[in-house]
Amino acid sequence: MFDLFREIYQTLRNNKLRTFLTGISVAWGIFMLIILLGMARGVTNGFEDSPGNRGTNTIAVWGGRTSKAYAGYKEGRTIQLKNKDTGNIKSEGGEHIDDVTSFINGSSSVISTPHDYITARYRGVYPSYLKLQGEEITEGRFINEADMEYKRKVIVLTRKNANILFEDTTKIVGGIVEMGGLSFTVIGVFDPEWGEDTFIPYTTAKMINGDKDDVDNLTVTIKDVYTQEDCHKVELNIRQSLANVHNFNYDDNSAIWVWNRFNQYLTAQSAMGILQAVIWIIGILTMLSGIVGVSNIMFVSVKERTHEIGIRRAIGAKPKNILTQILMESVAITGLFGYIGVFFGILATEGISMIEMKGISNPTVDITIAIQVTVVLILSGCLAGLFPALKALKVKPVEALRDE
Amino acid sequence: MIKLIDINKTYPGVVPLHVLKGINLHVEKGELVSIMGASGSGKSTLLNILGILDNYDTGDYYLDGLLIKNLSENKAAELRNKMIGFVFQSFNLINYKDALENVALPLFYQGISRRQRNKMAMEQLDRMGLADRAHHLPSELSGGQKQRVAIARALITNPSIILADEPTGALDSKTSHDVMNIFKDLNADTGKTIVIVTHDPGVGAQTNRIIRISDGIIEE
Repeated sequence: MFDLFREIYQTLRNNKLRTFLTGISVAWGIFMLIILLGMARGVTNGFEDSPGNRGTNTIAVWGGRTSKAYAGYKEGRTIQLKNKDTGNIKSEGGEHIDDVTSFINGSSSVISTPHDYITARYRGVYPSYLKLQGEEITEGRFINEADMEYKRKVIVLTRKNANILFEDTTKIVGGIVEMGGLSFTVIGVFDPEWGEDTFIPYTTAKMINGDKDDVDNLTVTIKDVYTQEDCHKVELNIRQSLANVHNFNYDDNSAIWVWNRFNQYLTAQSAMGILQAVIWIIGILTMLSGIVGVSNIMFVSVKERTHEIGIRRAIGAKPKNILTQILMESVAITGLFGYIGVFFGILATEGISMIEMKGISNPTVDITIAIQVTVVLILSGCLAGLFPALKALKVKPVEALRDE
Repeated sequence: MIKLIDINKTYPGVVPLHVLKGINLHVEKGELVSIMGASGSGKSTLLNILGILDNYDTGDYYLDGLLIKNLSENKAAELRNKMIGFVFQSFNLINYKDALENVALPLFYQGISRRQRNKMAMEQLDRMGLADRAHHLPSELSGGQKQRVAIARALITNPSIILADEPTGALDSKTSHDVMNIFKDLNADTGKTIVIVTHDPGVGAQTNRIIRISDGIIEE
């Protein structure tokens, strides 16, 4: 094997410039492929990292207005979601329902401290709410079960609001704010990318609102769902469960509004898959010009070396020896220059990853792609060398006797 | 050593060319013979067949007791490698390999290790008095030196016969004489069977026997 590499090295060295120029096209093709794959990876990463894609395992439901008459009721009836719907969906929704929560939107209120005041909306939420939104507490803690149970008057503020309300920003958590004539203790601060909502426990908000049974929204967390089909089934279960209680036709799409984020996520996932596939196709087509170049030069090489091949045949080279030599030469050219392209491609993607860009995050290639590219290179090399090698096989040993 | 029985060879074409018209030839082991003939007499075709470089249509060819007929490409390559040493008019050295690598090349196709190959090649070069030229490229060697490298390459596999095609054709008279002396010495010292194809009567005269071929038939 080592001998074969030696033979190949000798012949390639023999035509340095030609080999180099041919190799450039292969290197370029692979370079482009790596850049494209890196960018695709970056877009995928960027998509998965974006705040809108956290909590993708949720289905949000709002009450709507019926558009079909059902069970003696006329159309145009408002559907008001109730507290007990959470329990109903939980028990009737099937195995894929993980949890059902809700929130209450409070009206816009003045929140004040002796230092300053702001006007903000509050929202009464469950302890799991923040995680579903993909946000994290940066100081203190979020609402917990005990807050819910005892209807504690505790509040979670955004960093921006907290900084306005408190003069001494080191003493925000544990501080007291006034809202709607009630005193709330600040338990935590978070730093949202957008929005200025202030959070209090769901039960507290319900109490403030006069203990009404109405809820504005249901958030259903689903689990173990991997296909669009399952996802649709869960959505249908939710619709049917609500339709039974609120007396509307379950396929009346306007009676309740359902935002199936998981479905969106799955759709986006398949879009990313398509992007990846398209990029492979483009990359391989770009490489194809390189392959054709190598193939061409191998043809020239075989033609030039007809006499040499004849000599080799005359002194005992079997057809197999000639075939492997030409194929390996081709693989060596594509492989060597391919890796030069990979090297510069990775350098470039690392360079690009230094630049901050919206929607793209960490556009670099990993070891999987490196392996895939290696396979592509070897296959391309074989493909490029195949026809020239078959031509070389046709060289008869008698050629050795022909004068140059 | 070589036994040809009624060999016929026709090159197909619009006008088929009947080149060899029933060749019968015997060469004993240890003979130094020359095949002479004018251009177009069929001597090159005969050489191709002797060297298992080409097929024949009818007849039988025995080389060292082995019937050479309808061989696969692989088998033919193997037999050429082991049984026949070629010396060509234009030397046919590979121009980007140095003398040593050229001599060692037939052993490469036998799968012999590089170290062993180079050792054997060096011995052969030394025999030809070219040990100091081992790492020179063919372009750095004189015609006579090149032909001696080619002879070393022909000898390295210790073949049954040496087939030389106009081995002095590209050399001046002095070097021609040297090369012929090498063949004669080889024949005398080691008893190698040597067949030289030539149209030079001077070369033919130095062999034990001259086989004349004319118009595809051997003239005795």
